[in-house]
Amino acid sequence: MNKEERYDIVIIGAGHNGTTTAAYLAKCGLSVCMLEERPECGGAQETCEPIAGVRIQPHAIANYGGSAPGWEQLELWKYGFRMDWKAGAIVPFDTDRYMTTSDGLSQVTDKDKMGYAKITGLLTDPPFFKDLMRATFWCPPHPPHVELNEHTIPFMQVYKQHQPDMWTRELLEWTMFDLMDEYLDTEPFKVNQAWIALVSGAHGHMEGAAIPALCSVATVMPPAVAMPVAPRGNIHGYYHALLRCAIAHGAVVRTCCPVEEIIIEHDRAVGVRLRDDATWGAKKIWANKAVISAVHIKPTFLEMIGPRHLDSGFLQRIKDLSLKGGSLYMTHYLTRERLRVRPKFQTPGYRYENYGSFTGPFFPNDSRELYFENVTEVMGHQRNLTIPPERAMYGMVAGETYAECHPQSTRPGVYINGPQWMLVPTPEYNVDGMDAMEDKVKWNEYMRKALSQVVENLDSDNIVQIIGESPREQEFRNTGMLGGSWYGLRCDRDQWWNERPLPELARYRVPGIDGLYLSHQSSAHPGGLCLMAVGYNLMHILIEDGIAEPGDWWYASPWYIPEKGKKSAIPSRPSSVATR
Amino acid sequence: MTTDDYFGHMFQEFPENSEWDAVIIGAGPNGLMAAAYLAKAGLKVALIERRYEIGGGLATEEILYPCYSSNPHVIYHMMVDYMPVIKDFNLDGASLLWIKPNAQTAMVFEDGKSLLLTQMIEDTKDSISKFSFKDAVNFGKVMRSWRRIVDEIVAPATYVPTMTPIEMSMALQKTKVGQEMLELIEQSPLEIINHTFENDRVRALMLYASCMWGLDPRETGIGFFVPLLLDRGMNKCYCYGGSHKFASAMGRELVKAGGLILEHAEVNKIIVQNGRAAGVELAEGRTLRSKVVMSTLDPHTTFLDLVGAQHLDKDFKALIDGWKYDKWSFYTLHVASEEPPRYKCDDPWVNDAFMTIFGIESTEQLLAHWDNVVAGKIGANFGGHATCETLHDPHLSDKPGKHTSFFQMHAPYEIPGGWEKKGKEMEEAILAKWQKVAPNMKRENIIMTVHETPVDIETRFPNMRRGGIKHGDYKPIQLGSFRPNQECSSTRTPVEGLYVCGASTYPGGLVLGGPGYLGANKVAEDLGVKKWWKTTPEMERYIKTYLT
Amino acid sequence: MSRDERYDVVIVGGGPNGMATAAYLAKCGLSVCVLEERVECGGACETVEPIPGVRIYPHAMLMYAAPAPGFEQLELHKYGFRMAWNPVDMMKSLTAGNTTTQGVSPITEKDAMGFAKLGGLLGQPPFTQELMRATFWCPPHPSEVEVTDENTPYIQVYKKYQPDVCTPELREWTMFELMDEFLESEPFKVTMAFAAWASGAAGHWEGVAIPALLSVQLLILPNTGKLSIPRGGLHGYFHAIHRCAVAHGTVVRTACPVDEIIVQDGRAMGVRLRETAAIGGRKIWANKAVIAAVDYKQTFLKMIGREHLDPSFIQKVKDISLKNGTLYVTTYHTRKPIQWNQRYKAMQESETGVSGPAKVASGGVYPSDSRELYYENVADCDARKSLPTLPPEKLMWFLTPSQAFNPTDCQGQYRNGYISAAFEVNVPVPEYQIEGIDAQDKEKVKLDDYMRKAFSQALDGLDEENIIHCWSATGREVEFRNTGLIGGTWCGSRHCRDQSWTRRPIPELARYRTPIEGLYTCHQTTGHPGGLCLMAIPYNLMHILIEDGIAEPGKWWYPSPYYIPQKAKVSAIPR
Repeated sequence: MNKEERYDIVIIGAGHNGTTTAAYLAKCGLSVCMLEERPECGGAQETCEPIAGVRIQPHAIANYGGSAPGWEQLELWKYGFRMDWKAGAIVPFDTDRYMTTSDGLSQVTDKDKMGYAKITGLLTDPPFFKDLMRATFWCPPHPPHVELNEHTIPFMQVYKQHQPDMWTRELLEWTMFDLMDEYLDTEPFKVNQAWIALVSGAHGHMEGAAIPALCSVATVMPPAVAMPVAPRGNIHGYYHALLRCAIAHGAVVRTCCPVEEIIIEHDRAVGVRLRDDATWGAKKIWANKAVISAVHIKPTFLEMIGPRHLDSGFLQRIKDLSLKGGSLYMTHYLTRERLRVRPKFQTPGYRYENYGSFTGPFFPNDSRELYFENVTEVMGHQRNLTIPPERAMYGMVAGETYAECHPQSTRPGVYINGPQWMLVPTPEYNVDGMDAMEDKVKWNEYMRKALSQVVENLDSDNIVQIIGESPREQEFRNTGMLGGSWYGLRCDRDQWWNERPLPELARYRVPGIDGLYLSHQSSAHPGGLCLMAVGYNLMHILIEDGIAEPGDWWYASPWYIPEKGKKSAIPSRPSSVATR
Repeated sequence: MTTDDYFGHMFQEFPENSEWDAVIIGAGPNGLMAAAYLAKAGLKVALIERRYEIGGGLATEEILYPCYSSNPHVIYHMMVDYMPVIKDFNLDGASLLWIKPNAQTAMVFEDGKSLLLTQMIEDTKDSISKFSFKDAVNFGKVMRSWRRIVDEIVAPATYVPTMTPIEMSMALQKTKVGQEMLELIEQSPLEIINHTFENDRVRALMLYASCMWGLDPRETGIGFFVPLLLDRGMNKCYCYGGSHKFASAMGRELVKAGGLILEHAEVNKIIVQNGRAAGVELAEGRTLRSKVVMSTLDPHTTFLDLVGAQHLDKDFKALIDGWKYDKWSFYTLHVASEEPPRYKCDDPWVNDAFMTIFGIESTEQLLAHWDNVVAGKIGANFGGHATCETLHDPHLSDKPGKHTSFFQMHAPYEIPGGWEKKGKEMEEAILAKWQKVAPNMKRENIIMTVHETPVDIETRFPNMRRGGIKHGDYKPIQLGSFRPNQECSSTRTPVEGLYVCGASTYPGGLVLGGPGYLGANKVAEDLGVKKWWKTTPEMERYIKTYLT
Repeated sequence: MSRDERYDVVIVGGGPNGMATAAYLAKCGLSVCVLEERVECGGACETVEPIPGVRIYPHAMLMYAAPAPGFEQLELHKYGFRMAWNPVDMMKSLTAGNTTTQGVSPITEKDAMGFAKLGGLLGQPPFTQELMRATFWCPPHPSEVEVTDENTPYIQVYKKYQPDVCTPELREWTMFELMDEFLESEPFKVTMAFAAWASGAAGHWEGVAIPALLSVQLLILPNTGKLSIPRGGLHGYFHAIHRCAVAHGTVVRTACPVDEIIVQDGRAMGVRLRETAAIGGRKIWANKAVIAAVDYKQTFLKMIGREHLDPSFIQKVKDISLKNGTLYVTTYHTRKPIQWNQRYKAMQESETGVSGPAKVASGGVYPSDSRELYYENVADCDARKSLPTLPPEKLMWFLTPSQAFNPTDCQGQYRNGYISAAFEVNVPVPEYQIEGIDAQDKEKVKLDDYMRKAFSQALDGLDEENIIHCWSATGREVEFRNTGLIGGTWCGSRHCRDQSWTRRPIPELARYRTPIEGLYTCHQTTGHPGGLCLMAIPYNLMHILIEDGIAEPGKWWYPSPYYIPQKAKVSAIPR
């Protein structure tokens, strides 16, 4: 019989955020235990091989986290982190001058590009792109005593400093469309950016989300290269480096250990109880300093803590947290020959060989009317798509290879293409029923038709297999992706930064329950995209509470404001690396 | 011991005559607040309530006796985010618990389509986009400015003494937000809404939500209510344990501070000696003498019935005589049922909505219905709003798993044939309409019904004359510095020592807590009592920006 | 978000007993928290207004508590306590006679004198208050003291003032035997016996003659010789108690049902709230004591885990009897007032302010022909435990005096008809009902009609046309509304000799202590003297809490002169 265990820190969930937090805390010299319910860690940072020799990635693909302090603070390179610089995850910004619409290609004008470069901080010398990204994602929300306005909000400070002519109060109220109407030119380009924002978190039409939405699109480009890239070994390769960093610093990882209850005694989280089907049964694991929930916020409060410790007013607000708008139906296509784009979408001077065979478009980018038609279907009617496939907006991401030196498919004679994503209703809200999208044959076909608008050889002769995945299946696979939502909670103004997920939880603490912290895309700023941001931001709070005491390697966000009466997370003596 | 000693010696009662610093008439929200603030400031305060229970409108009553409590004021808690009283007495947390559901106001149509106003703006836009994405986008855009109008001006102003229209427009000129508000004031609710939205059903919802509390949709000069009632209507809170809990909490604060509450005590007259209010006489014969008297009742009761015309000069009496009661009252049907109403419509969230409007299919019909009501009729075209109280609060039903709901609609005080008869007829008509949109509201599922007519409202609360829940109509000449009139809108009255601080005084009714708060401030100032409370940051910002 | 809380004393239940105890303890300077599961405190001291302008009293109606020391000790007058002095002259109604199927049977001189004598009204000076206090406001003697004529409080009082009442059998007698000794006419005796049955101790029970009779006598307010109610009904009286508690710092939490009394090492440490509670399923800790002011069933069978109590104790608790019925209460809203019919014109009628002065039937018991009839009714309810099998003309009922509406009472201005006083009929406790626990609820329409027939035997105005509405509550509905009124019984557990005074509800619990250290009971079902909102249990419990060193009252406190301290405890008698 094994005895109950005790650590300084118990982390529930070994996805991207849980593991980042584990790495940071272990590096601070704390004893850390990570509990993962699945047989394998990684959460949404996963890669699988459903067909021998064919790799696909069910969720995250490109590396959005380029600007993260984590790279240097956790020294991921030491643990084998590498990128595939010959990337084709998304058609690189610098070469793509065209947007696909139902009438063919629409040119991206210079005004578009200059405007885009300006608002993303690429025009100044030096560019402030990285500052902008860090200010937006890698800074914990300000404490309640700080009034939020154009002077205090980090990304506003960045514009104020580097691009003052952009700095207006309206910037905080605008939708991304308002912003783009101000600085960009062509409708298809705007629609395209809005839609990428839609699948990356904050949506193009959301009130007061202009900059966060823009940044969630822009951050897919690492500061150095203006092109989206994927890590080597895909997004899971990136995860390996994180996990190994944590383990190297002594973190204990337990897989197949679902947590059933967060044990609370006298208003303090003191540990967790495992579900009785866990590897060692329903044993208890005690935490001396903190329990950190790196799983979805809804099960955290509604199941693991429950009404015994929470009042119904709070529970109602947890139940009301919106999962809307993040659920994607996705398909991969295994084909005999490479996919060929229809002539009318052939990009002039486009060098396929550099980016594998075919890199998918976002289609159709015709107009915002069309954009809203799609959005309304999913978020207004909350029903299965009724618009004809030719009007359905989707994104096609990966080509077959990210780099010749390690193809996605090493299976002779077949190519893997995808994923192709389409925004669909969150199963929990789908008026046609939770399982309304489980008719895979129907929806795979719908997806195929949609993609065939652009691809000419996506036919039965060519297709060996379509691998489709519904949001509900994604939720079954990763319980943290509740509703199949890729970024946990909708990133609208009511659920972002100082209000994510709720104002009183915005600083990762749980008022009324000491020693409990939140570290999940659904429960913390900035949300998803595997940015190592929640872990970094949470560090500030854990330092404030005297739980984490990092070494010289640590530096705080320059926009961070300490909470009154707490210890500051800014190191007393400036660390060697902090100044960059 | 003689027989007399013995008989004399039993229990002691509250004395026939007593002395107080302040006597407050009416233990509704305003009376309770005024009393609690002043008692905590060290004054000897007596709060007099005619009913057997304090709270006034803040009632949780077993109207569906036995076993089912109703909470008719459930949808009135719109200012919880701003009311100073909640922070000043630290009522949040243990003593009061607010539930603020995201799904706030729904509107369902006979064809099964629906609209939903939510706390989260994007959810509302999503819902509107089903009818018009332009309206969805516009809703987002106007709410930017409207929310600022509410947050920076209207909400804080609720707890700051009023200004004359001229002062007001000069003050508002100072900022862009203020100017936007001035533009709104000029327009009628109907103009504002038609000008902002294109889809008729969206318009109907917005119009209902902004005028349901008694605005004339076609009247200009009240436009600023539209942002207020829309924004606050999307931020209603449910008072867990029933609205009366708010009253009980205030009552306990008062008693803790040494104040007295006399229920079941009807005031016969306000004693006026050499032109000064000197106390009250109760119907039961007891007399409470006091330095000041505060009345939360309607102007007619306060000045004509309790003070008496002989103590008023004739111009002032004319002002009082000119007071107009609400343009409409409410008819309410309370229902105890096996299940909560389940609406057959395209959006399941409607079933979680705090309040659901039905029976209204178009702005035209809505306006026609209101015109009917104002003309003293109810046609077949009526509609109204329903709320299921037990949805958020199991404590309201003593029988486990059962539910209480109510349907409420605008109704005239006088109706052809009289309410005795009409009241019953309406029950059938309402249940028929209700069942159309919520099929499970069928007789088999209904355990009990009770209807309350405008006359019943007045019987329960005589100062809600003619069933007027706001003690008087909302119209330009009865608002702001004209509520109840120029002489009294500061809560001071021409009768020295007499103050008015009920719904008929600025800023008005609907559990704003404004009049009671302002009355307490004024009395504290006049009696030279040190205020233990501070103005809220919102109020300070407002005062700094507009009043200095 | 709320956190766990801690007080000296946590009281479960905000009814009259819980709240009066809170007032006493808060006045002793202790920090006290009262937890009430309903949205409003008051328990059975409640008033509702089902239609605008009309109040009805679902339970307690009349003021029984007049002799309570609580009035002066808690100074309720400071908190607005007032009476509604529009009383019915009890003496007059008495002289009016009793209603039998044959008509009004006059009350004889002997009846009146005998009744006055037993009630202490003939003594010089009258000793009613002392008699009442001895009977109800004195904690049961400690178990080590043998109960004898020498130390039984009420016997001591009679010995002192009215020795001829004291016969060796007095403590053995039934109320009927007592009445046969001192009263004359059968209908009067039957009326008294029935009134006692409805008030707690029945007229035919062994050994409770005096308590039973006095529970009726309590209705006469000694400072007027009349009976009446507090202004605003008993809820008005409760308000004063509530506010006294709050004024002394008591924290009251409504909508906070308790799921568990937390017991550690045999000691009550606090309580855990139900998950639906207004502050969530939080824990509330008690430094000194947890007081269960809810019924014994919830206390011992629900809130305390079985592992903390031994099976024999649990069995005893389960066996506590709720018998002697549930009052099925009916109130009528009528167009014309309800009045005694021609045959009973001699009965007292009282003025009411409802729709201006009008004569309405004042209280009475019908039919009071004979004790045989009385026994038939008792048998139906307590023995057969079935739905009424008697023909309506034989059903015994009790109409409470309609002194409720006083001209200065806002209800007095009600325009749309008349509201009757409450009609009460004894029906079986739902738990014991042989046709099933919900039989009364299923048959409610029939029962209402049956009762209307019964009342119509003696009263006019109960015809279909005249009745606008009728409110009634079955025993089960009563229990749903106030979980403490188990089985819908008004006096909690039956006040038979086996369950009264030193045996109430069982000997182990008689002194309000429980097998769990730090846990005390304070409810009509669990302690002497039982119901009637007397502030008696809190006063009696104070003696015990002083003995245990929990309460240390100031000069305002005085114990019962008949109280005997428990060995090796602090005496509750101030030095």
